Amino acid sequence: MDFSELEKDNTGRCRLSSPVPAVCRKESCVLGVDEAGRGPVLGPMVYAICYCPLSRLADLEAMKVADSKTMSESDRDKLFAKMEENGDFVGWALDVLSPNLISTSMLGRVKYNLNALSHDTAAGLIQYALDQGVRVTQVFVDTVGLPETYQERLQQRFPGIDVTVKAKADALYPVVSAASICAKVARDQAVKNWQFVEDLQDLDADYGSGYPNDPKTKAWLKKHVEPVFGFPQFVRFSWSTAQTILEKEAADVLWEDSPAQDLEGPERITAYFNKGSRARPRAPHRYFQERGLEPATALE
Amino acid sequence: MECRGEAVVEKERIHLRPVTLCDAAPATLHLLPCEVLVNGPAPVGRFFTPAVRQGPDGLQVSFRGRSLRGEEAAVPPGFTGYVMVTEDRGERLKGKQDFSGSSESDGERDEQELVEAPESLEREFDRFIGATGSFSSFTLWGLETAPGPDAKVHGALAWPSLAEAIHAQVPED
Repeated sequence: MDFSELEKDNTGRCRLSSPVPAVCRKESCVLGVDEAGRGPVLGPMVYAICYCPLSRLADLEAMKVADSKTMSESDRDKLFAKMEENGDFVGWALDVLSPNLISTSMLGRVKYNLNALSHDTAAGLIQYALDQGVRVTQVFVDTVGLPETYQERLQQRFPGIDVTVKAKADALYPVVSAASICAKVARDQAVKNWQFVEDLQDLDADYGSGYPNDPKTKAWLKKHVEPVFGFPQFVRFSWSTAQTILEKEAADVLWEDSPAQDLEGPERITAYFNKGSRARPRAPHRYFQERGLEPATALE
Repeated sequence: MECRGEAVVEKERIHLRPVTLCDAAPATLHLLPCEVLVNGPAPVGRFFTPAVRQGPDGLQVSFRGRSLRGEEAAVPPGFTGYVMVTEDRGERLKGKQDFSGSSESDGERDEQELVEAPESLEREFDRFIGATGSFSSFTLWGLETAPGPDAKVHGALAWPSLAEAIHAQVPED
């Protein structure tokens, strides 16, 4: 996998794909969708699709693809290499969603939750395959959230395709297993070669699995918290693990859309108006109010 | 501007150290659309500046996991921006050294002593302020969308030219 695009800029999202096998433009294809790195508080989430002609499904199965979680890292790497060798009938595509993209989506003014982001990414990849000319007739998806509503939504979006959304689809359908291997191999590689945007001194790469319940990951987060900026962008700020550490170890930050009760905080600049005097000062002219201009009569 | 509160504010004598205005090095400034409830230095150059990207719709970055869009805001013509720091009472000597610039050669110190108020005079001031940086523009950030021409800050920066116009002598025709 060529991650040079991602290494150039890992603040957004990045798509990678294999060339489309010629046979996949001619024959009906089956396509699997799966993801890796949904749970961790660190690093990107990777969505993957894998597809092959229905007529070659047995050949894909013969490669002994299985749920990526049941395999060792080296076995996954070997299987991915095998899929690449069979690029004449197996194709894949990935969408790498940076932790920064995940944080800013989930913490947006209008919350864009992880399920919605996942569903849209999966649909985007299926569309990408169609746009590349792959003749997709069947799609199998490992579910995120309730399989029924997810399936209904995908079926509506792709009326000409037979969509199946199931829990544990990565263990049930070989194309989904293959997609899970692509996703996991990509996620591991992306995490291993992560280019920190920040200039971090004595960065320690021993962050464990990246899962919130991993003591190593927690220790790493606590070690790398910065009182003003919080964490490097490698961390998903929207995870409760990250938020809890920030509440304890970093400065509070108030936004214009923060809940109103939080706005009391320490003394505001307007407070000096009332100091020592009961008389309410006359409000400044609207011109100044609209521009946030206030007379300064003392240095704070 | 007239303000009734002014009358009750304790009068302070503040001395602005003039040398610091000439010495102030150019500073890079970012105005964020949030309040960080702490005062002090922050590693902007290591955490924030390297993360700024030129996107299709202007500058973009994130702070604490929230997306920001930015634009350059210029200090009004005829003005210079300064980052001012007040010295705490009783910290005068220390503060003076802080403001004396990065190269603390004896020659420069001497020069400063000449321009600064002599010790006897210093006692008459309550507080001292000095510039630690100067700027002619800064980056104005908005939460998820660029602040745009209607932003309060742009309006505020237009006040000096309006103030000049309304206070100018009206020509007698």
